[in-house]
Amino acid sequence: MRASLKWLKDYVDITDEPAVLAEKLTRAGVPVEWIEELGTEIDKVVTGRVVAMQRHPEADRLWICTIEVGAADPLVIVTGAQNVSEGDVVPVATVGASLPGGKKIGQAKLRGVESFGMLCSATELAIDSKLLQPEQREGILLLPRDTEIGVDVRTVLGLDDTVFEFELTANRPDCFSMIGLAREIAALTGAQLKKPMLNVPETAAGDTKAEISIAIRDGQLCPRFAARLLKNVRIAPSPQWMQRYLNACGIRAINNVVDVTNFVMLEMGQPMHAYDYDLIEGKQIIVRPAAKGEVLTTLDDVKRNLHDDMIVIADASQAIGLGGVMGGLATEVTGETKTVLLEAAAFRGVNVRRTSRELGLRSEASGRFERGVDRTAILQALDRAAGLLAAMGAAEVCPGIADEYLDVSLPKQIRTSVAAINRRLGTALNGAQMAGILTPLGFHVDLANEHLVITTPSWRSDVTGTADISEEVARCYGFDNIPATMPVGPIKEGGQSEEADLIDKLRDQLTACGLDETISYSFIHASLFDKLGLAPDDARRAAIPVLNPITDEFELMRTTLAGSVLQTVAYNASRRNENIRVFEIGKTYFAEALPLKALPVETNQLCIAMTGARYDGAWNRERDEVDFYDLKGILESLLAALGMPSATFSATTSVNYLHPGKSALVQVDGRPLGVMGEIHPSVANAFDLEKKVYLAEIDLGVLLDGWVHRRQYKALPKYPGSLRDLAFLASADITAQEIEAVVRTAAGPLLRSVSLFDVYEGKQVPEGKRSMAFSLQFQADDRTLKDEEVDSSIAQIISALQASLKISLRS
Amino acid sequence: MEKQLADLQQAALAAIAESNALSGLQDLKVQYLGKKGALTAFLRGMGGLAPEERPRIGQLVNDVRQVLEQAIAEKEAGLAKQALAHKLASERIDITLPGRKPELGHRHPITLTMDRIKRTFMRMGFEIAEGPEIENDYFNFEVLNLPKDHPARDMQDSFYFSDEFLLRTHTSPVQARMMQSQPPNTPIRMIAPGKVYRRDYDATHSPMFHQVEGLVVDKQISLGDLKGTLEAFLKEIFGSSVRVRLRPSFFPFTEPSAEVDVSCVICGGVGCRVCKQSGWLEILGSGMVHPRVLEMSGYDPELVSGFAFGMGVERIAMLYYGIDDLRLFFENDLRFIRQF
Repeated sequence: MRASLKWLKDYVDITDEPAVLAEKLTRAGVPVEWIEELGTEIDKVVTGRVVAMQRHPEADRLWICTIEVGAADPLVIVTGAQNVSEGDVVPVATVGASLPGGKKIGQAKLRGVESFGMLCSATELAIDSKLLQPEQREGILLLPRDTEIGVDVRTVLGLDDTVFEFELTANRPDCFSMIGLAREIAALTGAQLKKPMLNVPETAAGDTKAEISIAIRDGQLCPRFAARLLKNVRIAPSPQWMQRYLNACGIRAINNVVDVTNFVMLEMGQPMHAYDYDLIEGKQIIVRPAAKGEVLTTLDDVKRNLHDDMIVIADASQAIGLGGVMGGLATEVTGETKTVLLEAAAFRGVNVRRTSRELGLRSEASGRFERGVDRTAILQALDRAAGLLAAMGAAEVCPGIADEYLDVSLPKQIRTSVAAINRRLGTALNGAQMAGILTPLGFHVDLANEHLVITTPSWRSDVTGTADISEEVARCYGFDNIPATMPVGPIKEGGQSEEADLIDKLRDQLTACGLDETISYSFIHASLFDKLGLAPDDARRAAIPVLNPITDEFELMRTTLAGSVLQTVAYNASRRNENIRVFEIGKTYFAEALPLKALPVETNQLCIAMTGARYDGAWNRERDEVDFYDLKGILESLLAALGMPSATFSATTSVNYLHPGKSALVQVDGRPLGVMGEIHPSVANAFDLEKKVYLAEIDLGVLLDGWVHRRQYKALPKYPGSLRDLAFLASADITAQEIEAVVRTAAGPLLRSVSLFDVYEGKQVPEGKRSMAFSLQFQADDRTLKDEEVDSSIAQIISALQASLKISLRS
Repeated sequence: MEKQLADLQQAALAAIAESNALSGLQDLKVQYLGKKGALTAFLRGMGGLAPEERPRIGQLVNDVRQVLEQAIAEKEAGLAKQALAHKLASERIDITLPGRKPELGHRHPITLTMDRIKRTFMRMGFEIAEGPEIENDYFNFEVLNLPKDHPARDMQDSFYFSDEFLLRTHTSPVQARMMQSQPPNTPIRMIAPGKVYRRDYDATHSPMFHQVEGLVVDKQISLGDLKGTLEAFLKEIFGSSVRVRLRPSFFPFTEPSAEVDVSCVICGGVGCRVCKQSGWLEILGSGMVHPRVLEMSGYDPELVSGFAFGMGVERIAMLYYGIDDLRLFFENDLRFIRQF
């Protein structure tokens, strides 16, 4: 909402500088978004009358004008403008003048003729073209011929004003008016609010109530509808002062009737509409929901298809207006209009909001109806408008008001106490201080024995209880004056869920493993499932669709992080960010049934992806690329750190997006924890990934179940152990895990650890075989092992391997 | 005899001084002090002396021996030192060559900021609570005093799955879930961090972003407590020199409501581009929990009161790290993430 400072001063004395006033209002919950000082760049531009014009002897397109500018001698000014005639009053930039944009005007010689200034167009004065009549937008700005000569053009155009742009909150419809704002200013500065006198000379013949009938079909949709009849209407421009006020508030002047309706809307917050009474069929107004399939051509000459959620104003034959949104073309006030029916009404905000949004017709009026107008002030608004029109000689007012008031708004009372308000605020104000704050805002306060009975003003329907009253007190008393305290009461240190603890730990461990954390959108596009090569019946394809996605890219809630993380890898690869090692922790969403009937299952997942070199390029590092075992190693370290060393990795071929020969199922205690492996070449291709990418997906729910928080200490060995290395020659299709299992079983209790330290295939090893070297550590808690004990264990291992896997010791 | 001894000492000392290798020194040791060395020869030659001369000459020979031994020992030490210095000099490396760095990963600035917020509140006794991202209309709006067709729902344009289900537009539903999960009027101190979603996508809006919601409910909680708690929090996050102010505002779920500003962390409050010359930055929304909100979740507003607040994690991260483009957070360009 824009508000002119000059206009505000009609209702309240303002002595504060604009910036100071804006700060006071903002800090009291009436936020000023910015302050616009109009006309500050205009200097030495005055009104002048063109008294003589002659063509320039040297140039067809130039005119030599003689301009009267008041007391000073007439000026000779050469202009190229073609829309000026003798007798016109125009803005004259005199020698030494400044114009918006920093332009300076000096004396100039145009084709041999001295020119002492410049005639200005609206553009040169930086006047917003939407505030101008169409004919004023081109050429020199022609002012009304009765404009005083020789005065500062800023005064004439209302550019000697300051405009506040308010960013009002939804709970304060009363502030969408000059009087509402003036009331706030008065209350905050201790000044008096001066409301305009209402004086309506009802001089026309007849009786409004007899000449128009009003019927409201649904008091919910339209609680009140009132009208006044104006006769002998003379449509003409409204007075300059009114046009200046409207312009400052961003509204274009049209004609006296329309301008007055806008003026009253801005002044009192009550939108109004004017009908050409003679065009209303049957002299009937019916307010009702639109019929299905009903059509109305609105003032902007657009045919609108209506439905029963919309409120229409109809006459005896058809809809003539869309309640609260826009009038109809059929009953528009024109230059020919002789009799005007002036409407002031209240409409149900929800319907106005939906209608105006649906039709794209949001306006100053619809915005006010959405927030709610003060029903009790409707007649005052009609009187104010009629009084203004009568005073400017634009119409004669017909006696009486036709008023249908179905849902009467009654004053509300709030019972509370000084203590209750202080308790809520943490203040120690007394009752008189509270009353001193509330009374200027229009509240009626009865204070007895620390109890408050507060009657709320009709325009403050937002205030309904102690909480609201405490807000009024707090905002005017000043939030800065409220002491800052800490809540009292028993304090314990806060905690979080185990899952949150796990996630915190994972983030630490994974970054320690060299992985960068990423966050991607929870939305995905269905094509990602194809890129991942998921089977048509894969459960992950049953993702929950967003009804109103913001782009097609974001149509589904993700059921896997793999797609998002591969996109992250591809994005970075395309930006030549090398050696990509990333992880993301985020949710997947699975519905029990679609469309959604219950909250879906949301589970946290971890996804890791790696590609590129194992180490960032350095002079002293190998240049090898990461492989399967880098990723597996990270998972192994992670599982060990979480106290889950018993997790197993088994070969799998069932993960569509992984290489069937390089993928593993990770399990803990027989439960699937996740999968890992190299991205399938065709998936890599679909994501435009040139290098091999390794990816793991881990379910944090399962990980959480297996997490061992508390470690049990084991005594350090007191006796030396014995270390033996064994190299075996095994068929290449026997896995390391199988060998290790046999070794562990056969070795007996003295074996403490097994580690594979070498794998070799190639020369010196027969075709189809590979050599694997294990380091075995033997240890006893109660004695130093004898060689014979270890030897016997080794012998058992060798024979067991021979027997079960046909593996021989490598000589 | 004495003269010979003196000459010998002089010659020996000169040879020791000239020697510049340990091996040469060893030879000199043998030559002068060895069993067949020159001094030994002297001692042997003492048989031809008068008996009364013998002790005196013997003493002289011993003196020379001591002088030479000491000279050799000193020279040895000097040469050893020299040799070590030479060895060390020859082992010099170019220490300006880059080190062999273990590859450390980087946390996303959003989760880092969330952690800082969480830690600060946990120290003040707040529990961390969580709730679903896909919510129902009841928890996201209804129970927060945002009935259907409330205009404030427009401020939070939502992603819907049906009339009933939507992506939560704020972390506030966790408030109501918390209250309803325990006996009425149980005191609460909680924050709820998490992802939220709104239907806005441009340079300054992301359809997914992160919020931290907070709720304190107890007997006698006041607006002053809200002010004190948030001041303490913001000074912890942005440093003890920031100033904090409250501005009245409107949220359907709180009354009174306040926007909380901090003095601009970029310019210190004198005015700059980031704070639009105002010297202040809007950092979170807050207020005293609306009695209706308490009531709808089974709490009695006559017995308890509370305050609630909500903040955007992206905004705090941007101000804290000086990030000027929201889109960077979800593009996942590693050149960005590796800065944190």
